[in-house]
Amino acid sequence: MKSRIHTVLVLSLLLLCSAFGAAEPGGNGDSIQDMQCGGACHGDASINETSNAILSLSSPATIYVGIPTTLTLTAANLETSSTRLIGLFLLTDMTGHSDTPQDKGWEILSDVNGGSMNYIEQTLNPGQNETNISWVIRTSTLGSTTFYAAIHHGGGDAAPFFGTSTIGFEVSVEPVPEDLPRLAADFTPPTLRELDTPTELNIKTQFTDSMQFEWKSEDGLISNSLVNSTGNNSWTTTIPAALQPTTVQWRVILEGEGPEQTTPWFTLAAEESSWEVAENAVYLQAFALLFMTAGIVIILQTRFISKPATSKYDETPVVLEDLALTQPSPTPQGLTSDDPSPPLLPATGLPIGWTEAQWNAYGHDYLAGKYGGGQP
Amino acid sequence: MISSETFHVVTTELVVGAFSVAGLSFTLCVLIHLGILKQPSWAPMFDHVAHFTLAFGLAATPFAILSGLSSAPGDGLNSPILVNKMFLSMTGFGFALGCLMTRWRLGDKVWSTSKSITLHAASGLAAVGSMLLTASAGGTFARGESLLDIFHLPYEQVLLFPMLVSVTVLLLGASMLVLGWMRMNASLTVH
Repeated sequence: MKSRIHTVLVLSLLLLCSAFGAAEPGGNGDSIQDMQCGGACHGDASINETSNAILSLSSPATIYVGIPTTLTLTAANLETSSTRLIGLFLLTDMTGHSDTPQDKGWEILSDVNGGSMNYIEQTLNPGQNETNISWVIRTSTLGSTTFYAAIHHGGGDAAPFFGTSTIGFEVSVEPVPEDLPRLAADFTPPTLRELDTPTELNIKTQFTDSMQFEWKSEDGLISNSLVNSTGNNSWTTTIPAALQPTTVQWRVILEGEGPEQTTPWFTLAAEESSWEVAENAVYLQAFALLFMTAGIVIILQTRFISKPATSKYDETPVVLEDLALTQPSPTPQGLTSDDPSPPLLPATGLPIGWTEAQWNAYGHDYLAGKYGGGQP
Repeated sequence: MISSETFHVVTTELVVGAFSVAGLSFTLCVLIHLGILKQPSWAPMFDHVAHFTLAFGLAATPFAILSGLSSAPGDGLNSPILVNKMFLSMTGFGFALGCLMTRWRLGDKVWSTSKSITLHAASGLAAVGSMLLTASAGGTFARGESLLDIFHLPYEQVLLFPMLVSVTVLLLGASMLVLGWMRMNASLTVH
């Protein structure tokens, strides 16, 4: 019993290792992450190594409250593992907890991969050792914020590498000038759209008399789309359908009484509509199928080999013994393989090459002529 | 340290390889026991090989399922193929479990009657078939093609029971397992 418990414990431990113990050189996917990446080994000072990557942040000179702006991270001197995958973070402090832009009241409207995450993964091209990525962010509070960047990547010796920007990048948020044409404070740009369907964008603005809409595909070609006004500071335009999972970027040029304004490039990713299922129902049905199939096999098997149960009150063997003493024994003729009792041995003894166990199991077939001529 | 994807490939190969050998051995077992292949002396060997490889494949199956779930792109079961893989692998797990439990508790008696022989071999082969279908679905999911594509299997269709039906089937299956276990023990009891 003790050994069985040990076996179960060891197997359970191994099972847990299969789900949680593996490294993830294939990445973790874009997400909202603190600098430690939820306890990833890259953030563990006892096992990680320092990255040689040089990280620097930049932004436009003036940032207004409530107006989206672009924060660009330049990562240079990059060394990666064979997967060429890097993970880049936009952070607001270096403590490892509560350090995302959202924790400091900033909203990420768009990231370069078509989401709104502060942790972005990118696969570098062969020979590429520098990259630029940008986030479109917005805040509703005045004051200054210091941003930091961090990087996770692999290396030649399979060690988890970790690096940060050497100094923080401080941005000051100023009050927005009166009558400045701008996107409405409550407008949130979409980040995803479905394949094969043109995307209609409804854009809300403030202090805007006219608007131009530009979008560019992954090859950098910039196109314009017609903009229709649907009311006061409300506009609609259409981006052509994507036939493949790709990203496009778009921006608007706003004109009004104030100075002309150009918004950052917002990224819009096209993806197939996701398929959803009630996972609890799936897992429940899976276990139901497991139990049902195992149960059916066991029940039928015990039925097919079952014999009347005996008990200490069952006197059948005694009666049969008495009957055997008073009646001649039956001949082995007519026995079939369904009769579990072993057949009588022929006068010449066991067939050549047969063991007693084989005779007990297959003797009936031998007598029936199924093996080697079958003559006793 | 390896990724979930690599770990899943390793465990899948263990499962498919072990179950394939089990399938071949069960086929030869049933041919011998039904007298079609007249080599009775081979019966114990294929009996042992079939059940050992089935047990080995069964032990590797949970690792394959868990690593498969954690390595699938996106969150959770986001494709009908993954759901069908889950159903097929758990069904195969059930067949293999029933086959091994009966062989363990009943011993050579599973080969004692023609009905029992047929059922035992069928359960072992059903486990093998389910696992090979699971692997085929995995190929369709990862690469868009599989050797079994010639059968045009409906991997994109999911037959999902209502929760009440699943609960009923689960309870019924658990009851059958308990009852079967008691009957197997009763058949072994010496009074």
